[in-house]
Amino acid sequence: MRRPRATRPRLDRFTLANGLRVVLAPDPASPTASVWVWYRVGSKNEHPGITGASHWVEHMLFQGSPRYAKGTIDRAIVGVGGMLNAFTDTDYTAYFSTVPREHLAIPLDLESDRMTRALISDEEVARERTVIHSEREGNENWPEFRVEEELNQLAFRVHPYRWEVLGRRTDIEHLTGAQLRDYYHQYYGTRNAVLVVAGGFDRAATAREIRRRFSRLPRSGADVTVTDIEPAAQGERRSELSGPGTTAYVQIAWRSPALRSPETPATMVIDTILGGESRLFSAGAGWGRAGEHPASRLYRALVDPGLAVRASSEWRPREYPSLFTIQAQAAHGVSGERLEQAIDDVVVRLARSGPTPSELEDVRAKVRRGAALAYEGASRIGFRLGYFATVAEIEYEDELLNAVLRVGRDEVRDRARAMFSSSARAVVRYTPTGRGINAD
Amino acid sequence: MRTDPDPLHLEYATPLDQLRLVLQPPPAGAASFSATYVGPAGWGFEPPGRAGIARFANHLMTTAAGPYDRVALARRLDRAGATLSRQTSPEAAEVTLWGPGRDWNALLPILAHVVLRPRFDGADIARVRRQTLERQLRETTQPASRADRELLQVIYPPGHPYRATGLGDRRSVDRIDRAALVRFHRTHYVRPGAALVVTARAPLRSVETAVRREFGSLPGRAPPPLRLPHVAPARPRTVRVDLPGRAQVEVRVGGPSVAQSAPEYPGAFLANEALGGRPMLGRLFQRVREENGLAYHAFSHLDTMRLGGTWSAAAGTGSDRWRKVVPMLHEEVDRLRDHGVPARELNSVRTSAIGEMSLALESTADAHELAVEAAYHELPADFWATWPARLRSVTVRDVRRAAAVAFDPNRSATVIVGPIGGPRVV
Repeated sequence: MRRPRATRPRLDRFTLANGLRVVLAPDPASPTASVWVWYRVGSKNEHPGITGASHWVEHMLFQGSPRYAKGTIDRAIVGVGGMLNAFTDTDYTAYFSTVPREHLAIPLDLESDRMTRALISDEEVARERTVIHSEREGNENWPEFRVEEELNQLAFRVHPYRWEVLGRRTDIEHLTGAQLRDYYHQYYGTRNAVLVVAGGFDRAATAREIRRRFSRLPRSGADVTVTDIEPAAQGERRSELSGPGTTAYVQIAWRSPALRSPETPATMVIDTILGGESRLFSAGAGWGRAGEHPASRLYRALVDPGLAVRASSEWRPREYPSLFTIQAQAAHGVSGERLEQAIDDVVVRLARSGPTPSELEDVRAKVRRGAALAYEGASRIGFRLGYFATVAEIEYEDELLNAVLRVGRDEVRDRARAMFSSSARAVVRYTPTGRGINAD
Repeated sequence: MRTDPDPLHLEYATPLDQLRLVLQPPPAGAASFSATYVGPAGWGFEPPGRAGIARFANHLMTTAAGPYDRVALARRLDRAGATLSRQTSPEAAEVTLWGPGRDWNALLPILAHVVLRPRFDGADIARVRRQTLERQLRETTQPASRADRELLQVIYPPGHPYRATGLGDRRSVDRIDRAALVRFHRTHYVRPGAALVVTARAPLRSVETAVRREFGSLPGRAPPPLRLPHVAPARPRTVRVDLPGRAQVEVRVGGPSVAQSAPEYPGAFLANEALGGRPMLGRLFQRVREENGLAYHAFSHLDTMRLGGTWSAAAGTGSDRWRKVVPMLHEEVDRLRDHGVPARELNSVRTSAIGEMSLALESTADAHELAVEAAYHELPADFWATWPARLRSVTVRDVRRAAAVAFDPNRSATVIVGPIGGPRVV
């Protein structure tokens, strides 16, 4: 029997002498070309004092390089009808541009210029500081952001997943241009990067162009392996926050395996049963997770009976052991304590009895369908190929897909038992103050 | 030779009396399909005292319909690899089904159930009421959504359909019951003024047959027409709302604007692109963020509908910086209105807007959005194919004239919401 595999386009792959890995996914019919550069650098590579450096470097790579003076990067791409942006996470930073196919040379030139030669001047660093403060403040307006930041600080004491990707406020205040330049020159380089080009282009000509532009870059990029190991948690950790908001909000985190752990497939099945979908194989036209999942266990146990207005689970695939979280926004008049109790009941039931046969069938159908439609449009193709190439390897997607489809009832139950041990969890409750529903 | 992106190939038909069908092939290589019902069911049509019912009904429709209760519908979609989404605006409501392209014919009945036979089960009504009440409070307590809401409330008079955000108020949402939902649904999910938009690899005749089969019982009565009250000119106003405990201040400057069908629309579109509609290229982003580092986001938006429109300039900034940002937004809007856009800048935003058409054809979902827009505005079938040529014909003078009409200072207002200290001042 043929093993299911993701519906990837045909790929061409090579590695330059300087260590840069290149993935080409040509589609002659595509009107666009999408260029992605993924660096295996993220907040995991920071330390206290320079938290937020990866995200700040992300901003600075739009502020000038030898051939692209400040202000010209946006114009070069957006000016021809393209879009560009970047994002930073714990394990990686990704930069992308999608342009009408005839303009592919522009993002290739841009990425080759800023991969190792971004300017990061003191003047621009000073000006960008308030922009980053502003970005963080925008997030702080949301109780969910504050709760998650607190949760990570509770759950991790040693590992760099402890701090928020945007960085601590105090570090944003004090990070210097010299520190950012050091960080950039240490980690951002050919050895830590993957270049993905997807869409409408000629395979041979583009490969030549990439060799011409990127081969001359020096071999660079220090080891990004994180050696800090988070010790096993001793007992529950708990925190209470309050502030402006609507109703009580609760987030609970349990230790979960790293992406490439053999426990990952069962964890993804648990995520799908509890919350309705898993991050890597979800259906939908968008890029992220879809909206409500009324058939999920959390929805049926919390939202249906009127305890919550929203409830979801999330396992984030990460390079190192991380967290499996459940979060819920209470309905009017429901306390955080009651919400927490209801969440406990849900996870205890799964750990005790495992999934039903029809739940497992639903998960398999959902995952198979999600994988089948995951590659549509040059931008999404570039994103997905780059993601897997960065956090694992491209074929790992097939391995994971097959493993998830093979997960059985006992495996889910055993994993749930191991993961939802209450002695190793972190809990943050948020209580709204002021003019919340509970106060009127 | 100038080469435009491949034109969107839209086919128009009327498979059922008064019901328009727009068929669009998906982009090459796309494996999904989309189908949308868009009709006159926005919150502008809500009866007096029923604020919030349009969004409420639209939400419930995608929850349970026909033979499917809430869980059964979710499982049916999950097993098919399909999703349902919804959207409501003052003038219209949409329901969209997305799924595997080869199954479009088998999945279309789900959309028909949703549009024709929503269940409005009691437990679902209670749940959506709880969710709506929480969203109302979120809208009030979050600076960004509060700023959007305050702007609409200050620039439009009571009773104007554009004045609301569709969530209603606590009292009106508490009053929504099954009978009212059924009545609203029967009156507004109809053929007149509605369209079915299908992006699928299928011949028009097959889609017409499927639509006749599935949507034949869609009512043919037209709902009462939507009318916009006149918005009288007024002195520029400022609203400040202090939300202590929040970290960021949201600023909005805006006012009523033109409809999509207005002769000034292409010029107004390009004027807005130059002001801040074009990500990263716009004047607001360049001045507020890139030159002065005062905000993370700074942009403008021109929301053109059938009967009218709204423009706004927006920024999110710190409590110690908003006093610098507010005059910048005003200065950039005034500069645009008084001096227009120089030829070089106009060419730049125009080239960008035309080039972006390629990106709009990346996936089924992307292309489908354009087809839905064409259907909603009843645009000619070649609208998107000829859009680049229309943009090329816009002159510097056109933009200046359009900006004066579309960004009218005599009907504008400024809203500042967040941790600003002090009482609310109107």
